Amino acid sequence: MADGGDVPVIGDKPVIERVAARPAEETYRSPGEWVRKNLFPTPFNSFLTVAFGLFVLFSARGLLNFVFSEERGWDAVRTNLRLIFTHAYPEEQYVRVWVCVGVVAVLAGLSLGLFASRGDGLRLRKIANGLNAAAVAIAVGIVLREPSVLVGADGETVRDGDGVVRQSFAEAMTDRWGWWLVAAIFAVIALALRRVPERSDGSPSAVQALDFAVGALAVPVISAWVYPWGHYAFADGEFIAEPGRTVAMSTKLPWTVMWVLAVASLIVGRWVRSRVDERVLARLRVVVSCTWLLVPFVLYWVVLRDPDLDWDRILTVDMPLALAFGIGGGIVLRWLTKDGIGEFGRISAVALLGLAAFHWVAAFMGWYPMLQKVRISFLLLAVMALLAHNFSGEAAKRRRLVLAWFVITTVFHYFATVMNTPSTVETPTEALIGGFAVTLVVAVFTLMLSFPLGVVLALARTSRLPIFRVMSTAYIEVVRGVPLITILIFFVVILPLFLPANMEISLFASATLGYTLFSAAYLAENVRGGLQSIRRGQYEASDAVGLSTVQRTVFIVLPQSLRASIPPLVGQVIATFKETSLLAIIGVFDILRMANSVIPAQTQFLGIKREGLLFVSLVYWVFSYMLSKQSQRLERRLGVGER
Amino acid sequence: MSISDATVAVSEELAARDDMIVCRGVDKWFGDFQALSGITATIKEQEIVVVLGPSGSGKSTWIRCINRLEAHQSGQIIVDGIELTNDLRNIEKIRSEVGMVFQQFNLFPHLTVIDNITLAPIWVRRKSRPEAEEQALSLLERVGIPEQAQKFPGQLSGGQQQRVAIARALAMEPRVMLFDEPTSALDPEMIKEVLDVMEELARSGMTMMVVTHEMGFAREVADRIIFMEEGEIVEVGTPHHFFTEPAEERTKLFLSQVL
Ligand SMILES: Nc1ncnc2c1ncn2[C@@H]1O[C@H](COP(=O)(O)OP(=O)(O)OP(=O)(O)O)[C@@H](O)[C@H]1O
Ligand SMILES: [Mg+2]
Repeated sequence: MADGGDVPVIGDKPVIERVAARPAEETYRSPGEWVRKNLFPTPFNSFLTVAFGLFVLFSARGLLNFVFSEERGWDAVRTNLRLIFTHAYPEEQYVRVWVCVGVVAVLAGLSLGLFASRGDGLRLRKIANGLNAAAVAIAVGIVLREPSVLVGADGETVRDGDGVVRQSFAEAMTDRWGWWLVAAIFAVIALALRRVPERSDGSPSAVQALDFAVGALAVPVISAWVYPWGHYAFADGEFIAEPGRTVAMSTKLPWTVMWVLAVASLIVGRWVRSRVDERVLARLRVVVSCTWLLVPFVLYWVVLRDPDLDWDRILTVDMPLALAFGIGGGIVLRWLTKDGIGEFGRISAVALLGLAAFHWVAAFMGWYPMLQKVRISFLLLAVMALLAHNFSGEAAKRRRLVLAWFVITTVFHYFATVMNTPSTVETPTEALIGGFAVTLVVAVFTLMLSFPLGVVLALARTSRLPIFRVMSTAYIEVVRGVPLITILIFFVVILPLFLPANMEISLFASATLGYTLFSAAYLAENVRGGLQSIRRGQYEASDAVGLSTVQRTVFIVLPQSLRASIPPLVGQVIATFKETSLLAIIGVFDILRMANSVIPAQTQFLGIKREGLLFVSLVYWVFSYMLSKQSQRLERRLGVGER
Repeated sequence: MSISDATVAVSEELAARDDMIVCRGVDKWFGDFQALSGITATIKEQEIVVVLGPSGSGKSTWIRCINRLEAHQSGQIIVDGIELTNDLRNIEKIRSEVGMVFQQFNLFPHLTVIDNITLAPIWVRRKSRPEAEEQALSLLERVGIPEQAQKFPGQLSGGQQQRVAIARALAMEPRVMLFDEPTSALDPEMIKEVLDVMEELARSGMTMMVVTHEMGFAREVADRIIFMEEGEIVEVGTPHHFFTEPAEERTKLFLSQVL
């Protein structure tokens, strides 16, 4: 960047231009040339290519024969799809699940439309290459797989002296015409894509990756309307394979609605983005982020759980309480941000914190009864009071603090009330949902709770005050030295015994708590790595312009260190996501338990386990892979320009 | 050499002004190593003082003690009538009176130029955002890069970054500016643009304390030059005195090496 501007010249063109032109030339290499250059450059490399190629083909053949074998009971998976994803959420309330999916679809579409950066896009040529590769892979697979077993008119496999009788090779090849057709369609589309002319400015034609993904998602949705794939049945708490109704038939309408919602909100997002300036966009970003943080709570506790609100109690207890805290706290905060309150304000804030802490001590000692949410409200108020001096002075800032307090109080009291209200949805097990949904819910809540905790632990561990350092180090080292399953069992089995008499904790909550405390220790270490990567000059510059320690941490240190630790943080997110499979051990009906014990126990699918496990692995893999892909994108985007 | 000798060299007009920075017998140790010993000096309001000295002589340490990036162990440092003690309130007050520019710029890489400049005015000086932004834009104008407001520091040249750093310090409306080798990390062709900004700042009546190896700047702009070696002040004088008839042998040796 500081290269002074004189570009070296070769011939009559500056070198820079040549460098820029090179990648484009590379893509024009023909496939034959590519194969020669990359697979068979030297005799030894050719040998390696052939040897490992054979190994890959051999393994692929094994997998194909396993997956497509006539003995496989894939019906066990197909029939139980709903069970695998949501467990026994009642049929007549199922629309609630779709509402959840819809809300996420809308929010995702809006966020992507508003904020996704538009890159160079996917080159059509690249997509064509991918489709070609897929076509070739399918063709190879068709040939590789052993011919199918012959089935007689009575539905039994035909046997002779040596065992089962198989089709001839030619029969097998013609029998698999459907797959040939798929491969052919891919190849034709690829050919068509290659024909698309370059853009008028000479750059290769491309589509935005996002548009491509949205388009690709339309394929399964449309296919459900065209071909009624899948089996499906779940009625009256019984799992039955019901021939007439398939997955495609019963979910094509909801999935279409979801897709349309996502696309519509994407378009709305883009439209809004094209109308507003940077400042409004920054505000929208804050609003959308906050919405994302609230959505898991709303979806789980309000939409899925459908609380049976007791309006008498709400009007006599909950509302007055919320109002008292809102207004009282608002007055306190307004007073604390008065001009010239100075030291006295800080002392009052610390006193408030002391009071809040005292209520908690009292709770555990059982001195006096108090609603849990009152204790938490005091704590929230104390934290706000400690931060208040940052908002003193200007009237608008003071108003913003008080407003923030109203919002926090409203949201907190609303959820506290909702969470303490029994649900109207009745399920056969204690848990509201199970299967993959519980995996997602536990993972999301764990991450939302353990992130702030991890950051606090990391800050404490790098703090100058020895007491914080020692406490945090001790915590992190203890947790990291104990297996997760031990922690989970502790929280599920032992913790309830220690709670004060009036406190109860559900299996779901205690498991999430265990995961949170565990994951926080690891997150803390990752964040600490980021903290250490920040140069001393950043601290000195913050001090020199007069930022306080809190301001320095919030505005300068954390944003940079979190950015620096994105790769390990995403690693931890993926790990947490996969570790939720331990839920199966402590008695939660999660996706793994469905495949491992619930489905094999059904009368029609007795003992069929491998198919389910393979499918569950696939689900885990797809999600983990998407997460890691997203993190790469995030890293690349944050790495550009801002560093 | 005592402090009274030093003040003799200063013009009477200067001596009549108020004291801005007063150091009395400042000592600073890093473990066993004494980085500053008995630093005594007074910097007057609107004065431009250039601190010279060989590498490791304690110039940075001294200048960093003045806004408490380092803590001194004994002696007194008084800035604009406020003494630097462990009292956090005094440190806060002094830091908002004193702007500092670093050799490595130390801009905040994750914030745009305008956010770099407005952050402290908004959160420390409690200005409203529009007000702070207006001020930031006029400061960017003053340092000659109004068009870079929305860029990130990593997208600017070294000279531009240092000018943003100066604007960032000025946004706090300090009464004193400290510069620790502001041009040492810059390519030669960018040094001048930064020195020009500093010169303009000097003419506008800012009190400045500058550690630099730019002898031209010292000669043209400084009211006084302080020469340090091994943590001590060796000689103090006007540029004319300093460059033509230095009194101390060590000063002469230093000048013969750098000129
Ligand atoms: N944090 C520290 N810990 C230990 N010793 C230090 C520390 N900072 C500086 N020193 C020592 O104090 C002495 C003075 O350092 P200082 O950085 O003030 O020198 P300087 O005059 O600014 O030199 P330069 O021109 O190279 O910047 C040096 O010997 C240095 O090694
Ligand atoms: Mg130095």
